[in-house]
Amino acid sequence: MSRTDDTNLIERCRSGDRAAFEALLVEYEKPVFNAAYRMLNSRDDAKDVTQTVFLKVFENFDQYDPTRRFFSWIYRITLNESINWLGKNNRTEPLVFEAADEGRNVEQAVDSARVSANVQAALMAIKTDYRSVVVLKHILGCSYTEISQILDIPEKKVKSRLYTARQQLKDALTGMT
Amino acid sequence: MAIEQHYIDLINADIDGEISDAEKAELQAFLDGSAEGRKLHEELASFCAALDGVEPEDPPGYLRHVIMNSITPARPAEESPGFLQILFAAPALKYAATFAAGVFLTLSIVNSGQVSNRAFDDVAGLVGTMADPVNAKLASSISVDEVDLAGTVSLRSAGSLLILDFDLVSRDHIEIEADYSDPSIWFNGFAQLESSGTSVSAESGRVRLGMEGKRRYAVFLHNKGGRQTTVGLRFKANGEVIHEARLDYSPTK
Repeated sequence: MSRTDDTNLIERCRSGDRAAFEALLVEYEKPVFNAAYRMLNSRDDAKDVTQTVFLKVFENFDQYDPTRRFFSWIYRITLNESINWLGKNNRTEPLVFEAADEGRNVEQAVDSARVSANVQAALMAIKTDYRSVVVLKHILGCSYTEISQILDIPEKKVKSRLYTARQQLKDALTGMT
Repeated sequence: MAIEQHYIDLINADIDGEISDAEKAELQAFLDGSAEGRKLHEELASFCAALDGVEPEDPPGYLRHVIMNSITPARPAEESPGFLQILFAAPALKYAATFAAGVFLTLSIVNSGQVSNRAFDDVAGLVGTMADPVNAKLASSISVDEVDLAGTVSLRSAGSLLILDFDLVSRDHIEIEADYSDPSIWFNGFAQLESSGTSVSAESGRVRLGMEGKRRYAVFLHNKGGRQTTVGLRFKANGEVIHEARLDYSPTK
């Protein structure tokens, strides 16, 4: 959806137009749900977080800064709600994973039908700061600049977190299968 | 020999498509002279492609309906909300607001073949009986995610009352049977958020409902003594069962 489309819909939402809100919901329901799912590793939890995210969006349109893209706002809320959810359920610590086996090729670990499950398990093995950048980059397809805006951190830090996260994911995947 | 961090950064930026022409040339020069660098580039590219290729999950079909149902329509800012608007803003009180109409509707269409007829002795008492759903405890809930029907049904308890809370959307007409085998439990009332559109009838140990479209309504069962029970749910379209589920109530929950 273009920036203009989003802006028009948000203006209509602010005046109480439910159809406009439903259009935003149709557009962002799936990415929000997927981001939450990858952060939480639970469809039930992702469903609850998605519902909370859209309620917060609906109730806080007045706080939305129209100079920024709508997706950066809603993705930021999604990640914050997911991290809060993990905290409430005492799941802030990453799962323990074994160190990489140098004799195993990374491709062997990822090149299979189990890739999604393996990636998800590996995601849950890294800290939420790193998981967030991987979700934004590889699940939601954001650029470095967009990730920087969503997380409110310098672009240099985005790169360093992303590269470290990838290395940790590779280690987790190779140690997993 | 370990690869310098600078080149690792360039490899990552290249794979992400976020590299300048000058950086690209620098990286290429490095890769031309480093087998280790080329291996890392290939490995990372393959790994990132695998991450990008993770299939997205589809959200539950009913989620959109649940979200739309949970938002409160905004009112014009200049309009000061009246006392009744504030009072009925809470979903539970919306039920209460429509409950009287619901009771009359129920009384007019119910088949009173149930074990006890005490449920309809005192309509005013009924309103009072269901008056505290705010404090109702969630006993169990189920989600329905069928092609023709989606949503949730929850079972709550409040004192001697069991509340079946239906939040559903159906494409066509759907019939729902709620069975409770315990003969000491009887149908105690019905309320709906919409002014019409849902039919209800009760007989011994069973409530039948009919609905179409988006509907939010509640069936009240009297459960004196708060006995443990199970409510079986059968959802039918064109006479055929499309979904079955059960809701359990245990007084310890």
